[in-house]
Amino acid sequence: MKDADLKALTGLCAKCGTCRTVCTLYPERKTEIAVARGKIALIEAAMRGEDGDAEGVQEALTDCLLCGRCERACPNQVLVEEIVMKGRADLAEEVGIPAWKRVLFGKVMPSPAATGIARKAAAAGQRLLPGKIPTASGLHYRFPDGLGGKGRTVPKLPGKGFLESLGKAEAAAGEVMLFVGCVFDHVFPGVGRAAYETVKASGKSVAVFRDAACCGLPAMVSGDRRSAAECAEANVRRLRAAEPGAIVFPCGSCLLMFKRNVFSLLPKGTPGYDDATYVAERAVDYASFLLSSGVLDRIPDPPSGQNVGEIGYHDPCHLSGTLGKGPEAREALSRAVGPAFAEMAGADLCCGYGGTFNVRDYPTSSRIGETKVTVAARGGTKVISTACSGCVLQMRDMAARTDPALRVVHIAELVHQALFRK
Amino acid sequence: MHADALSALGNLFGDRLRTSLETRICYSFDATRKTFLPDAVVYPVSAEEVRQTVLLANRHRFPVVPRGAGTGFSGGSLPVRGGVVLSTERMDRIVSIDTENLYAVVEPGVVTETLKAAARERGLFYPPDPASLKFSTIGGNIAECSGGMSAVKYGVTRDYVLGLEAVLGTGELLRTGVATAKGVVGYDLTRMLVGSEGTLGIVTRATLRLLPHPEAAVTVLALFRTNRDASGAVNAVVAAKVTPSAMEIMDRTAIDCVRAVAKVPLPAGTGSALLFEVDGTADSTAREADRVEEACRAHGALEVRRASDMKGRDELWKLRRAISPTLLQLGAVKLNEDIVVPRSRLADMFDFLADLSGRSDVRIVNFGHAGDGNIHVNIMISGADEDETRRAEEAVAEVFRKTVAMGGTISGEHGVGISKAPFLEMEVGPLGVAVMKRLKECFDPNGILNPGKIFLDEAAVRG
Repeated sequence: MKDADLKALTGLCAKCGTCRTVCTLYPERKTEIAVARGKIALIEAAMRGEDGDAEGVQEALTDCLLCGRCERACPNQVLVEEIVMKGRADLAEEVGIPAWKRVLFGKVMPSPAATGIARKAAAAGQRLLPGKIPTASGLHYRFPDGLGGKGRTVPKLPGKGFLESLGKAEAAAGEVMLFVGCVFDHVFPGVGRAAYETVKASGKSVAVFRDAACCGLPAMVSGDRRSAAECAEANVRRLRAAEPGAIVFPCGSCLLMFKRNVFSLLPKGTPGYDDATYVAERAVDYASFLLSSGVLDRIPDPPSGQNVGEIGYHDPCHLSGTLGKGPEAREALSRAVGPAFAEMAGADLCCGYGGTFNVRDYPTSSRIGETKVTVAARGGTKVISTACSGCVLQMRDMAARTDPALRVVHIAELVHQALFRK
Repeated sequence: MHADALSALGNLFGDRLRTSLETRICYSFDATRKTFLPDAVVYPVSAEEVRQTVLLANRHRFPVVPRGAGTGFSGGSLPVRGGVVLSTERMDRIVSIDTENLYAVVEPGVVTETLKAAARERGLFYPPDPASLKFSTIGGNIAECSGGMSAVKYGVTRDYVLGLEAVLGTGELLRTGVATAKGVVGYDLTRMLVGSEGTLGIVTRATLRLLPHPEAAVTVLALFRTNRDASGAVNAVVAAKVTPSAMEIMDRTAIDCVRAVAKVPLPAGTGSALLFEVDGTADSTAREADRVEEACRAHGALEVRRASDMKGRDELWKLRRAISPTLLQLGAVKLNEDIVVPRSRLADMFDFLADLSGRSDVRIVNFGHAGDGNIHVNIMISGADEDETRRAEEAVAEVFRKTVAMGGTISGEHGVGISKAPFLEMEVGPLGVAVMKRLKECFDPNGILNPGKIFLDEAAVRG
């Protein structure tokens, strides 16, 4: 490993052990290698030239959900996420990344057309899967046990994505730009639609960012910085060209990418930096936009039809933790559903998704996730709402595993329901 | 380590034996930031597995180094002579809490905060509160005899250990102590093991005394011009027959460090701060807080603030809690010592430290548990300047000499480990060291358990 910045970043770690107390993974692994100070020790050893096995270090660095809890708890404010991502990137250059990731990050995700084709192929292939199961949130498919993780359920993929469903003239230009994100475009187009229509209710002209590549976060966290930078650079260039006043993100992870991580890929001095700055200054989370734009004032009458306290809010790690946007979502939710919203038990527990972590180690990811939704359900929550695509994916799967009556929704769906209630 | 030994450990632990370089690196450090690579790491889940490990160690002659959460400041859990790190983090059950007889039985890997919370749920109180309580383990606290903020009123870990189950260096399983409020049968083997830094036995279970939880607490922050004023107030509070559950002191450099971060407005001329906490019933805490205030004002306090609700108390504690993280502003390397002097000598020690800082030309930040006379002397250096490092190390030795001369001790709560081993004899004398070594032979004749600790060891010096 050679990145000189890493030395300065890791040098602040006092090895005090605070990170052990908050690590999402530590209760599962019960070993120092799982937690931030262990990973930092590995990087430090590698920088001293003491790493015998780069693949072993890569394995250790990959075993992390990047939930950022350690970073927020750290008394010395060590930038753990950045350290782990830099470490992964350096090692990816040294030993490479798996072939499926190379294709996905390098070929599919940078191209809006390719992601659409991939979804169509997946939707067609999905019909061959056995074990359709009914859940409150729609039909899911259960994966065969040897494929994709024991007991995994996946949403039924739509034939048409959200963007594809929009008319050509619809939402071509506007003062507000909506960045839907891959999952809310291709997997849950209903969420994309709800976000679009509620943002439109602000009365401002709203455009949907049609030329979107993947935000790049999955590639970045996997150490594929080249693909991530390619996605990020294309996105910020096209976004700036559209000259929006605000860019609204229904997904916390995409927002994190454009608010913070993008500067690690397009740092000062690179051609994309100015565009990235332009975008970061205008990027706003969905709930904050609702609050500032007056959308919530348009909810026609006091909400009814939900039982008191049955709707909770799950804090996405990136949105609430890293970006500090937790109060806004709660305020928006209170305004949208009234007393049906109550603080949820274990609201800030990580859902265990962790992007590619969920693919890499589904059993662990699902144990963490099952704990998450079980704690919430035991506290009386019947509908878990949230604002991140990964969390929606994961918690719907977890609800299907633990309690089919438990619903998982994006807050946009609840706001939509309240605004357009008949 | 010999292949036969590793293979025997493999038979015993299966995938709970780890020998990959990555795992070994992760068990090579503690909060001293020194590193020594072990040959293997094992994660026992029972006393029997600990016993079998030590028996194998005797057969194959490899060191066994017990490790809790690796949060120590003196190197107590570092494998300075290699061998096996025996991590107790998977022996983490609270076995029982007896609410009638007021004790808890726990495994060594229980995190201290977890026990405190479990006791609190039952209206009970486990008082020891090392600064690391959220992550350090009971086993580690026992091994190092950890202290904390509340030691002035409630004592340290030692005072709450009623009995222990421990595997000796011979592989024998020893049970010591009692599960009753009293017990004076024979030598106090429990106390022998507490603070022995894993060199005499590996604790596999502990019986810990609990108290009824205090009803209320009041926090008082008093700001002074000088450390001498503040030290006078500490003694005056004690003379006023108040025993606060915390009496913390911060010197001017410590205050300057936290000023920006803690965002607590301080009057001009603040050069020392005391933070008190009194606990008990609502009535008694109010009266005691009054007396604390009076004593502080009588000793020249510039300002006194007080809070009894959780939010207000947290606000006052911010100042104290912000010190540690902000210290790195002053230097990348922190030589962190924890001397104790008789409480009446606090002011003299502060004067000495200020003078030493000037003479040695190194930044020294002092804060700590004034009520115990326990000062955390932090010498902050860049780590990149050889001459500065040498001056800092000489300053440390001078601090220790002065402490012992004042009738104090060179470690109040961090233990000897490797960092204070060169100074052990300075405090306990040659006969003290000799008797300790004889005891070590009695518990661990083959030198299996945590070698290189407490007593000066070449391997540890090299690291």
